[in-house]
Amino acid sequence: MSPEELQLLIAGYVLSDLDPEEAAAFEQLLAANPAIAEDVAQMQNALEVSYASPEVIPPAHLRADILNQISSMAAETARRPASTRPFHRRSFSWRSLVEVAAAGLVVALGVNNYRLSQALQTAQSQTMPQYATTTYVLDATQGDSVASAVVTVDPNNLEATLTAENLPPLPPGQVYVLWTVLQQDAPFTVDEKAAILTGVFQVDSQGSASKTIAVPPVYRVGGVVSRVAVTIEDANAPQRHAGSPIMVTDL
Amino acid sequence: MPAQDCRVNNTYSSEHMHSDSPGNQPRSLLQQTDAELFVSLKAGRTGALGILYDRHSALVYGLALKTLGNPQEAEDLTQDIFVTLWRSSSYDPSRGSLRTFLAIMTRSRAIDRVRSRTAAQHRLEQWHPRRSEDVTANLPFEQVAQGERSQEVQAALAQLSNSQQQILKMAYYEGLSQSEIAKQLAIPLGTVKARARRGLLKLRQTLADVLS
Repeated sequence: MSPEELQLLIAGYVLSDLDPEEAAAFEQLLAANPAIAEDVAQMQNALEVSYASPEVIPPAHLRADILNQISSMAAETARRPASTRPFHRRSFSWRSLVEVAAAGLVVALGVNNYRLSQALQTAQSQTMPQYATTTYVLDATQGDSVASAVVTVDPNNLEATLTAENLPPLPPGQVYVLWTVLQQDAPFTVDEKAAILTGVFQVDSQGSASKTIAVPPVYRVGGVVSRVAVTIEDANAPQRHAGSPIMVTDL
Repeated sequence: MPAQDCRVNNTYSSEHMHSDSPGNQPRSLLQQTDAELFVSLKAGRTGALGILYDRHSALVYGLALKTLGNPQEAEDLTQDIFVTLWRSSSYDPSRGSLRTFLAIMTRSRAIDRVRSRTAAQHRLEQWHPRRSEDVTANLPFEQVAQGERSQEVQAALAQLSNSQQQILKMAYYEGLSQSEIAKQLAIPLGTVKARARRGLLKLRQTLADVLS
């Protein structure tokens, strides 16, 4: 295994996504070379300084609360087998009658609860999303640009949220345009570049944009959208599609 | 920046998963790795949970507090996370680090709670319409956290491709599984894995000075 492959395996461990074969290989490597543990710790730190929130020590009572809860749950679990001991015939008592009544009530409530949950499921299925949300990540086409954009499309309501960063503000008369580019033979009306004009936006002085855009129904048809792109166009005639893509997905 | 010095030695050590090998001296709970403590916990030694709590509760509570914005809710969630760790067997010590497992579970559950709170609020607003600016009090927690990153970290993140950044954010920060990410980004699962790992490796290399 090359040093880079080992580092990628460590990254997989820290991201908690090793498959069983990788996990076995990692365990062997670690046994043979204990110094790997230090690499693991550094990789973990890299992940956390980048993505975790600052650590905050919880209130002191919380530790005792949790340990108490677990002790009582453990004790409850330990007691439970006693209640499942073999049934012994007992003489009639009022207590058994109450128990039977209580059991009947539990069954009745259970049926009621079942009906409620069935009703809830029916209600939910009527509003369940039919299509999965898709996220498109756009990268700059020019190597020196750090511009980026993310378009998250919800085909259910045909809406997308667009967030863009590090785009230069444009001079008056120009706009950024978001295009949905389709596969060549897709049965939809497109322009000469196989694209549908999907949205027009501007960025603020920091070069950022965030807006909700209505998207065409092509997003409800699988395998039709080839890519999503952004160009700069004339504000009065964005549909001419004269600009080259400055950002595009790498599908 | 999170307190790190306690983490380096606690997260992992060379004796990982080998505590039972013959010849090893029995070690106290305090000396054990996370993986060993988790195994002890599953074997019924509830004392192991106290040690795991001491190591990781600040990470869990910090994430919960940042996401939920409310100390009481953050305490409830922290309690929920550690009780779940005790009860369930969903963590597999051979496949990955406990800290990441806990962080992802915390974020994922915290986001679910924010969503159900927001949904409840929307239902309420149908009866009692409020001014739109009031709603923003519950909205994007991501932006706050991103503004808190140090310049070094922001510069390191900027060296990742947008796709690597997006995948790491979805995995660690949004608590999505890799198959969910693959589905949402419409790319193969193998690509998601490879990009996440390469992205993290790049982060570690770029941040080497900061981390040491």
